[in-house]
Amino acid sequence: MTEGNLLDELAGGLPEEREARWKRYRWHLIPPEPTPPLVNMALDEVLTLRVGSGERPPTLRIWGWDRSCVVLGRFQSVRNEVDERAMAEHNVQLVRRISGGGAMFIEPEGTITYSIFAPEEMVAGMSFPESYAFFDSWVIDALRELGVEAWYQPLNDITSTGGKIGGAAQARRGGAVLHHTTMAYQMNTSLMSKILRVGKEKLSDKGVKSADKRVGPLRQQTDLDRDVIIHHLIGHFRARFGLVDDQVTDSEYAEAKRLITDRFSTPEWIYFLP
Amino acid sequence: MHGEFKTPGGKLVVVDFDVQDGRLTNVMISGDFFLYPEDALPALSGALEGVDRMLGGDALAERIRLGFPPGAELLGTSPEAIATAVERGLVDSEEQGRT
Repeated sequence: MTEGNLLDELAGGLPEEREARWKRYRWHLIPPEPTPPLVNMALDEVLTLRVGSGERPPTLRIWGWDRSCVVLGRFQSVRNEVDERAMAEHNVQLVRRISGGGAMFIEPEGTITYSIFAPEEMVAGMSFPESYAFFDSWVIDALRELGVEAWYQPLNDITSTGGKIGGAAQARRGGAVLHHTTMAYQMNTSLMSKILRVGKEKLSDKGVKSADKRVGPLRQQTDLDRDVIIHHLIGHFRARFGLVDDQVTDSEYAEAKRLITDRFSTPEWIYFLP
Repeated sequence: MHGEFKTPGGKLVVVDFDVQDGRLTNVMISGDFFLYPEDALPALSGALEGVDRMLGGDALAERIRLGFPPGAELLGTSPEAIATAVERGLVDSEEQGRT
């Protein structure tokens, strides 16, 4: 089976039908700026709820970071995933996001992360796996335009001839879907291996060929700067589906601040599963 | 006790628990799977609380299935995989107990 066929089968109907689902909305863009990890966590929830309630139009947000961190998946246990002593030593903050999936080690210039906030009706009739492939399909196309031979690997991976590039996660709240994806641009593997615990069990079904869990950060597959790739992703989306330039509103920031105090910064949240 | 299982073709599931009077207690299910809605997790781990440690994998999986709130969906792992993680935790602790 070719990669193209796989996506066609998974991603909810005919190509024209999928395209129409995107074009049904007037998308807004929130461009990247250096942002504290806790604000990134809280904004995911705030913007999802606001899209669900209709206060905000469907939105593409590209993330920025002001420091290094590990973002745990909703259901991961702290002690199973990270070495907290190494994190303290290297000034890496620990946060937990609202969606499931795996831990990400983030350095500000090392990854490209985006969130798509859409009304749930956009994926009406799709299974969860179909909706995962659907939300990332435009990125696959954009990467291919840059010469990166990428395809979607269900359930939630973007992979390529050069190895795994990234992974996605979704949460659903109040009538909206949050779909966010992190792609590796450049990896500090020596620091990452000190901070993330990758047990033998995690690699056990990957086979001999990829026993080193082969990853293919974008920088290994293209000479382009991270900013150039981000610019290209935005340009692809804008040309294909349309994009209105926007930003996080004061009221959204205020709500995010409240959520950080009440939830995202609390030990009850971060150590929800110790 | 601590058991891990990588769901074939899917995600890692980890179960930490204690055994008291022959029954599972303080059960914590974790991993990089997906669960919708997210707040269904306590119902899954709750389904294993008080379960007889002698139960086999099929019976454990059935308990977890029964614990599913209506409409909840687990992605990347399964009740069977969670049951396997529990069994591994039990086996490991028995082996440690013998040495």
